[in-house]
Amino acid sequence: MVSASFSLKKKFTTLVEVKRQRSQRLYLVCFFLVFLLVVFLSLTNGAISIGLFDFLEPESQLQKTVLYEIRSPRIFLAGFVGASLSIAGAALQGLFRNPLADPGLIGVSSGAALGAVAVIVFGSVLSVNESFRPYLMPVAAICGAIVVTSFLYSFARRYGEFNVATILLLGIAINSLATVGIGAFQYLSDDGELRTLTFWMMGSFSRSMWFTALHTGTIILMSCLWLARDRRNLDLLQLGEHEAQHLGVSVNHLKRRIILCSATAVGAGVALAGMIGFVGLVVPHLVRLLGGVSHQYVLPASALLGASIMMLADLVSRTIVVPAELPVSLVTSAIGAPFFLWLISRVRSS
Amino acid sequence: MTNPPLRLIVQIQVALSFLMYPAFGCVEPADNPSRIALAGGSLTEILYFLGEQNRIVAVDSTSNFPQEATEFPSVGYVRNLSAEGLLSLDPTLILGEHDMGPPEVLDQVSSAGVQTVRVPEEFTPEGIVEKVRCVIRVLGLDENRTAGQISTLIKTIHTLERPIENKGAPLKVAFLLGIQDSGPLGAGTNTSADGLLAMVGVENAFKDFEGWKPVSPESMAIANPDYIVIPTRGAKSAGGIDGIVQHPVIRLTKAGQRRQIIIRDGMEMLGFGPRTLYSAEEIAKTMSISRISD
Repeated sequence: MVSASFSLKKKFTTLVEVKRQRSQRLYLVCFFLVFLLVVFLSLTNGAISIGLFDFLEPESQLQKTVLYEIRSPRIFLAGFVGASLSIAGAALQGLFRNPLADPGLIGVSSGAALGAVAVIVFGSVLSVNESFRPYLMPVAAICGAIVVTSFLYSFARRYGEFNVATILLLGIAINSLATVGIGAFQYLSDDGELRTLTFWMMGSFSRSMWFTALHTGTIILMSCLWLARDRRNLDLLQLGEHEAQHLGVSVNHLKRRIILCSATAVGAGVALAGMIGFVGLVVPHLVRLLGGVSHQYVLPASALLGASIMMLADLVSRTIVVPAELPVSLVTSAIGAPFFLWLISRVRSS
Repeated sequence: MTNPPLRLIVQIQVALSFLMYPAFGCVEPADNPSRIALAGGSLTEILYFLGEQNRIVAVDSTSNFPQEATEFPSVGYVRNLSAEGLLSLDPTLILGEHDMGPPEVLDQVSSAGVQTVRVPEEFTPEGIVEKVRCVIRVLGLDENRTAGQISTLIKTIHTLERPIENKGAPLKVAFLLGIQDSGPLGAGTNTSADGLLAMVGVENAFKDFEGWKPVSPESMAIANPDYIVIPTRGAKSAGGIDGIVQHPVIRLTKAGQRRQIIIRDGMEMLGFGPRTLYSAEEIAKTMSISRISD
């Protein structure tokens, strides 16, 4: 661990080099181009064929509805959820100073899922104002995510810095605790709720509609922008908590902000799209491997690449078994899990 | 219609008929039932039963009967349909089980101008007939032409009306979906299997809980069913009839000791299409025959 933090510091000092900044800017431009390309591909591909440039002027009413009411909100939500998971992953990795802090692995997603599942099962018996009902699931999911993240953080404060093994073990413990809760809700649910639950857990963007997608998008955008304000502080935190404190960072406030914002971003996405694994882990790593570790670069690059990967995964999930579709988390995990294995072997050999 | 009380009764009936089908559209024929995407195995079965299969453009993954129905494009699981997938088959009507979904997808499909109709479900013999009648109404079929099919169903229901008793007490039967390591998943009240058992004319051994629940060895011993009914798939993964009777949870029951295990296709028994009536009849036959030989 000593050598790892030493190499981090070394990397950090080289970051100030202008050359690196220039290459990072170049990468950001590339990611943006990839992002545009994926948006274009997602808009023009699907079960219903729409010509390459017809999306500007759809031929029939059907194409118009499919493009504007079915495909667009879906792509919009997939992009936002992908970006939120990746930014939250990058920020949590920065906060815990641990490369394996992924919202899914350390249990933030399952905390959010627990909140959302509670609403699926008990939502119908809760007496809440009808106008508040659509927000019930996001709020519950965000609360679940905040509880888990704060727990992780208090654990971290008590026992000092986390090493890779500890954080993974903690993740296993939290995930299985959440599984117990979800299992209890499954037991209490009736036949219909149970099947809704099962499909919700697998994750999908098929339920996206403009009304809910815009709300979730707004929440995610706000929390991600809030996270981005701390990019410089996150860099300083990589030197160590005391060092950051001496450099004028209010470390406790910083931690609280990051936990709140990443939990909100992840929770809002989970509430609508279900559990989608590995994106939050894989994307920040790819970004760092390519362009370096400065959060000034890592955060926006993760957002762009995360959005692109998620839209691409959704594109695969809705075109591979036409006219049916695959759960999107199946696609992300199929790509993400091998990457995770490779990552572990890389961490171990260094 | 000059009699005021009679008119009142008719008015009440009309009012009630709307109450009975609040969100369901089987009161009037669909606008254009020429190209139908089906979501639900029992509906596919009913279309074949009525000889109207040439209208089908797609089915869902629960539509496994008749065999040839599986050759249509599959739009996925009845609760997990895909809006664009459905629309890509250019249907004029989406006819689905009461639980088809997700609701957002159906909203999207309706906003693209495709009519969606849900068929209500009730786990009784009358519910099955009502389902077939509903499909007839939605398709706008001639009631006289389909009278033959309806009367076959009603005839089967009449043969089912005698309860199967065992020395005065009703036969106790457990319906298990499968036997996993954690224990068998049994059908309590308010399940399709509970409806099936009632139709067969036997008592559900697990009437003290609701829904599908894992059953502990002890509660299985207390329930002590005379028969166990299990879908083919569940039986296969449990190691066939030998695997089931040797399972520690089953071994102690009457059903296990006498090898009184009934294995049939799951969708046939629980789909609540016309086949479910036939299935109930067959199960009832098996149970009465083996009881005579006791």
